[in-house]
Amino acid sequence: MKRFWLWLSLVLVVSLLLTACGGAGGSRLDAIKKAGVIKVGTSADYPPFEFVDASGNTTGFDVELMNEIGKRLGVKVEWVDMPFDSLIAGVQEGKIDAAIAAFNYSEDRDKVVDFSEVYYTSEDAFTVVESSSLAINDPASDILNLKIGVQTGTTQDDWLTALVDEGKLPAGNLSRYDRVDQIALDLKNGRIEVMMSDAVPAEALARQLGGLKVIYKGVLSSGPMNIVLPEGDAELAKAINEVLAQLKAEGFIDRLAVKYFAE
Amino acid sequence: MDSALILQARNLTKRYGANIIFQDISLDVQKGETIVIIGPSGTGKSTLLRCLNLLTHVDSGQIFLEGEEITAPGINEDRVRQQIGMVFQNFLLFNHLTALDNVMLGLTKVRKLPKPQAHEKAMHELARVGLADRAGHYPGQLSGGQQQRVAIARALAMDPKVMLFDEPTSALDPELIGEVLGVMAQLARENMTMLVVTHEMGFAREVADRIVFMEKGHIVEQGAPDDLFERPQHARTREFLWKITELYGKKEKK
Amino acid sequence: MLTDFFLYIAQGTAVTIGVTLVALPFGLAVGLLLALLYNYGGRWVSRAAGLYSLLMRGVPPVVLLFILYFILSGRLINLSPFWAGSLSLGLVSSAYQMEILRGALAAVGAGQMTAARAIGLTRLQAIRFVILPQAIRLAIPPWSNEASIVLKDSSLVYALGVPEILRRAQQLSATTGQPFLAFGAAALIYFALVFLTNRALDSLAERTKLPTQPV
Ligand SMILES: Nc1ncnc2c1ncn2[C@@H]1O[C@H](COP(=O)(O)OP(=O)(O)O)[C@@H](O)[C@H]1O
Ligand SMILES: [Mg+2]
Repeated sequence: MKRFWLWLSLVLVVSLLLTACGGAGGSRLDAIKKAGVIKVGTSADYPPFEFVDASGNTTGFDVELMNEIGKRLGVKVEWVDMPFDSLIAGVQEGKIDAAIAAFNYSEDRDKVVDFSEVYYTSEDAFTVVESSSLAINDPASDILNLKIGVQTGTTQDDWLTALVDEGKLPAGNLSRYDRVDQIALDLKNGRIEVMMSDAVPAEALARQLGGLKVIYKGVLSSGPMNIVLPEGDAELAKAINEVLAQLKAEGFIDRLAVKYFAE
Repeated sequence: MDSALILQARNLTKRYGANIIFQDISLDVQKGETIVIIGPSGTGKSTLLRCLNLLTHVDSGQIFLEGEEITAPGINEDRVRQQIGMVFQNFLLFNHLTALDNVMLGLTKVRKLPKPQAHEKAMHELARVGLADRAGHYPGQLSGGQQQRVAIARALAMDPKVMLFDEPTSALDPELIGEVLGVMAQLARENMTMLVVTHEMGFAREVADRIVFMEKGHIVEQGAPDDLFERPQHARTREFLWKITELYGKKEKK
Repeated sequence: MLTDFFLYIAQGTAVTIGVTLVALPFGLAVGLLLALLYNYGGRWVSRAAGLYSLLMRGVPPVVLLFILYFILSGRLINLSPFWAGSLSLGLVSSAYQMEILRGALAAVGAGQMTAARAIGLTRLQAIRFVILPQAIRLAIPPWSNEASIVLKDSSLVYALGVPEILRRAQQLSATTGQPFLAFGAAALIYFALVFLTNRALDSLAERTKLPTQPV
């Protein structure tokens, strides 16, 4: 019995050493192209960026974008749904080839993974009725006395909720809606004075509905978004960045933003 | 009775840590002999029996079974235990098995008898202790006396050369003691070699060929029942015999 | 709509049951081996088994999941998320099952071993034919409890991207904005699974119960 345990631990130690020595090397791009599949992680509980639709498909702004990137690379995207917190580890340890989930760049994350070029900068916007004389220069202080509408669960919601939690914005001033178009209607009806939303849907709504104007645009609640890629894999990053540049130039991303953020 | 030596203990010493349980004990057992070991509790009687069938190991000394040293290194202890039956104070039947299966287990797993033969042998042993009609009962469904008789049948099934009994009736209600002692007396009549630790002086007097009085890890005195009971040589023996009759007398009055 | 909703979540049941059907027997096999080593294995073996139990019970299951999948898998062995998750939960459960079984083994008592050895059974035979059949009967009720825990903990495999009941409920809650319905459905399914498991094991315990003297 004693001998058995000795052997077992020996085997374990040796195999650990072996694997520790065997270096990685080579780009994942070759493997991906060879397999015809790129494994992409996301966390499908963040509409409209990534979510599960009524028929059980993973979809959303990020998902459609990535599907298009895959198509242009000539590979199929295999979606892996993970908790947001597992995604970085998943890329880091090579369990997935990339992750897209409305990630913002951060220095901490950059130490262990790489980021693609920015594919979308989510700007926040404040929208009012055309006849309004409101002006917002410093949102964190200018909006505190206003009746504000926001979409539930968005980064804007988080930002405003933080103000409420800090005791700056009275809770009664904040109204939450399921959809952005509902906010716009209430804005027109005068139930609220200002709408905070992503800038892309705000401008789309103003165009569609008329009688509204965006009085402030800026990065408050989120910011530039990047695809998370394996650390040090320049070839894969280059391939994806090239496709991103194409898609931007063609207006594909803007159209996608209108589709997902303006509905 | 032929007087062949069947079990021989030479200068046995047993320690638990720094505690010397017994020292330099020697005992010769003749084939067919019934020996009753008496003595105060804590004297090492149980430990001696457990050493004899290798359930624990002596620290020094030798034990011979039919001339073969069973304390020798490399001996197959399982085979030795199979040949020395043991009956415990608290029966220790296998609780998940019926009386029949208790007796059959050793036959099928140790002696590797085919099922039908094992069954026949087990039923024979149960009949020997008067419990053929309880074969299908679980230990939990049997009285203490019946459980102890099944335990005896279980040991007998292995056809042991020697049977060891460690206070087989101490855990029984007084009205159940008789049936167990009856079975043991019957075995003695059939010339089974037996070593019995007991406080039942009536049984000792009537059934034993020899009484061994142990105290504090030593054999103080041994002899034929009449000699030992009527003419004990040592003051200690007298004292113990007086105490034990006193104790059992009181018990019976209750 | 409501039935679609429920059906989507219920599809996760297969994963939940699958994970449980791997983790629980695997944990039982390892736990049983360790319990035997702990009770009958000599001082150092026994200590090692005790240490294993202490470690496994001291580490949050998710941490073990991450170690096995993200760190070990791919280096030592290649495991899919499902297997990495199921085996991790099995390892955690093995420590708890070991505790259950070693308690049960101890409760059978040393006397049964002595009696078995006295008729010439080897140690292994004694364990197999005398000790285990009794210990397992004693272990069924606490084991039933462990089975429901593993069933519920199986939701943790989602951390590796295996979508089971709970994850599907989260997704639907996010998409439809009806958390009450989504998590209510999940709770209902979990409850049904745990209920059925416990009932099955209760009836097993009842059927294997040893008869005692009628009072
Ligand atoms: N496993 C053991 N470990 C330590 N001491 C023991 C053990 N078994 C018995 N003893 C000690 O050995 C002595 C003799 O016990 P025992 O043989 O049971 O005596 P008896 O059967 O004559 O009453 C007692 O003091 C008891 O405490
Ligand atoms: Mg004793």
